[in-house]
Amino acid sequence: MHVWLGFAVLALVLWGITGVTQKLSTNRITSERSFLWFCWAMVALSGAVLFIAHPHWGLGRVVVLCSIAGGALNGLGAWTSFRALESGGKASIVISLVSLYPLLTVILAILLLRERLTLVQTAGALTAIAAAILLSMEAPHQPEA
Amino acid sequence: MDTNANTKADTVSAPLVEQNGFARIPRWLFWSLLTIVLWGAWGLVSKVASAGVDAYVNQLLYTAGLAPLMIFVAWTVHKQRSGETSQARAQGVFWAFLTGILGGVGNIFFFQALVKGGKASVVAPVTALFPMITVLLALIFLKERLGRVQWIGLMLAFVAIYLLSE
Repeated sequence: MHVWLGFAVLALVLWGITGVTQKLSTNRITSERSFLWFCWAMVALSGAVLFIAHPHWGLGRVVVLCSIAGGALNGLGAWTSFRALESGGKASIVISLVSLYPLLTVILAILLLRERLTLVQTAGALTAIAAAILLSMEAPHQPEA
Repeated sequence: MDTNANTKADTVSAPLVEQNGFARIPRWLFWSLLTIVLWGAWGLVSKVASAGVDAYVNQLLYTAGLAPLMIFVAWTVHKQRSGETSQARAQGVFWAFLTGILGGVGNIFFFQALVKGGKASVVAPVTALFPMITVLLALIFLKERLGRVQWIGLMLAFVAIYLLSE
C-alpha cells in the first residue's frame, strides 16, 4: 500500500468519527456555538503542535499563503454549508450536493496542477465521489419494530 | 474535516436570491454551490502548499486562516440568546471540542498524504469517503438502520479505495 494512502485513510477515519461527535454536539448546542468550539480545539491543537513539532520558518510566500488559504477556505465552506441548511435546503439534498466538492478538486488539479490519472485511478475517483454522495443521503425514516 | 455540515434545517419553500434581476436561484442552492467551490479549492491550495510546508506547520497556518471566521462567528454567538441548559451546553461543548481535535488531527493526516506524494485529484476523493465511517459507527454503536442507497454507497466506497490503491 502507498504511504500516502495510509495517511489518507487515517484522515478518513478521524473525519468519519467527527460525523458522530458533531451530531452529538449540535443535538445539544447551536451549530454556531459548536463551530466556535471546534475552532477553539483547532487553536489548542495548534498550540500543542507548536510545542512538540519545532516547526522551521523561512518558507516560500506562495506556500504560506496557500496554507493560510486552506484554513480560510475549509472554514468558510463549513460556514456556507450551515447557511445552506438554514436557508431551507433539505439536509439530504444539501449534504449530498456538497459531497460533490472532490469533483471540483479533481478538475482543478488536472487543469492547474497538470496531474494525470490512470484509467483505474479515474474510475476510483469517480466511484469515490458517487459513494460519498450515496452515503450522505439520509436513510428513509423507518419505524422501530 | 473535517468541518462538515450536519443536519439542522430541512423545511419548506426556500427564499430566492436575485442577482441584478437576471438569475433567480434558491438561496440554499447558492450556499451549497459556494460550499463546493470553497472545499474544492481547499484541496487544490493544500496540494500547492504541500510542496513547501510540512503537515505541522500547515496546521499552524491553517488555524491562522481560520481565525477571521472564528472572530466573526464568536461575535454572532455572543449576540445570540439560546435556551440551552448549562448541562446540555457543557456536553455540547465537549463534543464540539473533541470534533475539533479529531478534525485537526485528520487535517494533519490529510496534508501528510499530499506531502507523501498523493495527488490532490486522488487524495480528495478518498478522504471525502469519511461518511462511510460515520455510517458504520452509527450502524454499530447507535443501532441506526441503513437505507438501500447507503448500503450501495458503502460498497462503492470499498470498491473506490481498492481501485485507488492500485
